[in-house]
Amino acid sequence: MRNRWMNPIFAMLTVLAFSPVMFAQTAAPLGAKKTQTSLHPPDLTGVWANITESGATFNPKEAPSFQPWAEAKWKTNKNDDPGQPLITNGRVDLDPTVATCFPTGMPRLMTEVFPFEILQVRDRVLILFEKDYAVGHIWTDGRKLPEDPDPSYMGQSIGRWDGDTLVVDTIGLKDITWLDRAGHPHSDALHVNGRIRRVTHDRLQIDWTFDDPKAFTKPWTGRTIYRYKPDWILEEFISCEDRLLHGGESLEQKAVKGHVQ
Amino acid sequence: MMYLPPNCSQGDLRLTPKDGWHIVLRKGRLKIAEGTQMKIKLLAVLIGAAGLLLVAGPVIAHHGRSNYDVTHTVTLKGIVTEFEWINPHALIHFDVTDESGKVEKWVGETNSPNTLSRQGWSKNTVKTGDQITLIGHRVKGDSPYINFSKIIFADGKELSPAIAN
Repeated sequence: MRNRWMNPIFAMLTVLAFSPVMFAQTAAPLGAKKTQTSLHPPDLTGVWANITESGATFNPKEAPSFQPWAEAKWKTNKNDDPGQPLITNGRVDLDPTVATCFPTGMPRLMTEVFPFEILQVRDRVLILFEKDYAVGHIWTDGRKLPEDPDPSYMGQSIGRWDGDTLVVDTIGLKDITWLDRAGHPHSDALHVNGRIRRVTHDRLQIDWTFDDPKAFTKPWTGRTIYRYKPDWILEEFISCEDRLLHGGESLEQKAVKGHVQ
Repeated sequence: MMYLPPNCSQGDLRLTPKDGWHIVLRKGRLKIAEGTQMKIKLLAVLIGAAGLLLVAGPVIAHHGRSNYDVTHTVTLKGIVTEFEWINPHALIHFDVTDESGKVEKWVGETNSPNTLSRQGWSKNTVKTGDQITLIGHRVKGDSPYINFSKIIFADGKELSPAIAN
C-alpha cells in the first residue's frame, strides 16, 4: 500500500534528477535572494554564456519590419537549409565573419555562442568578449553620445543605472556587420538600446530595442538570456587562423572543393 | 550531478544500483516493488535521453552542416600524424590504411580550442602516433575530411566534444 502513494513522488524526484531544464530553473533562485536588491549599483561582474532559446537572434518579440533593401538582404542571408536548428547561423558563405573574416562587432557579439565577461570600474562597464578578443566600453561617467560618430565595429556606448538595470545606448556602428548571427542586416544609423538586468544570481537578462530607420520601418524589440559561469575564464577565439595557416583557404574549404590531400 | 529539491538532503534520496532504486526516509526505508523499478528505470532512461538530445543537438549545428553528408555516420580508424590546436576548429591529421596496405591521409575537424579547453582538452590530448577512431560526418564529395562528434583512443577512452555553452 505504501508503495502506491510513493510511486508518483518517486517519479517526480526522478524527473527532477534527470532534467537539465528543471535543474537550471530551480537552481537559480537558491542563492539569488541574498545578492539582489542590496547592491548599488548591482554587481554584473562575471563570465556569462548565452542561453537564449533562439540563440542566433535577439529573439524578436515580433518579426522586424524591413525597408525594401534590408528585406532583400535578410532573405538572402538567412539560413533556409531545412532541418537547421534555431541555433544555426545565417548562410555561412555570406557571413562577414565566417566567409570573409571581418570582426564580429556589436551588437552581434551578444548573440554569439562564446561567453563574455563583464567588469565594472569607476567610469565604465567593460564587456570582454571571448570571440575576437573584442572589448566593449560602456561609459557610465555621464558623458553624452557623440553627435556624428565615426563608424566602428564596436560603436560608441554610454550607460546609466535605472534602479537595478543598466541602460546602454550604442551608436556609430559599421554597416559591414550582421546585426546578429542569424543574418539580420542593419545600416550605420542603427541605435541599439539594451536594458541589462541580473534577474537572479545566475541569470542576466537583456531587453533590446533596435531603432534603424534606414533598415527597419519601425523599431523592434527582443530579449536575450545569459547564464552565470563562475568557474569559467575567458579563452581565445579568432575566426580565420586556419586559412591564414593553410594558404588563404581553410582545409574545410579545400575539402568542399575536392582539393584536400 | 544529481539535483535534489531544497527540502531534501543527500541522505533522503539514494541510488543503490545493486538492487534498484530506493527512497530512504528519515524514519525507515521503503523499497519499491520489482515491476515498478523497471518502469522507473525506463522513465529515467527516456528523460535522460531527451536531456542529452537537447544538449547534444547543437554540437554539429552552430555553423550549419550543409557542407557535410549528415545522412551517413562514418567510423574511421587511423594513426595521428599531427594535431593542430587552431581556430576556428582544431584539426587532427591522421593516416588510414586500407586492407591492401594503401595509406590515405585524412583530416578530422572538431570544436574550437576555447570550447575544447573548457572540456578539459589541451594541445596534448591527441598526440602524433596515437591510434584513434573517429566517428562523424564526411564532407560532401570524395575529400578525406570529416567533422567528428566522438574520438576513441587505443585504451578505450572516449571523448565527445560538446556544445560551446
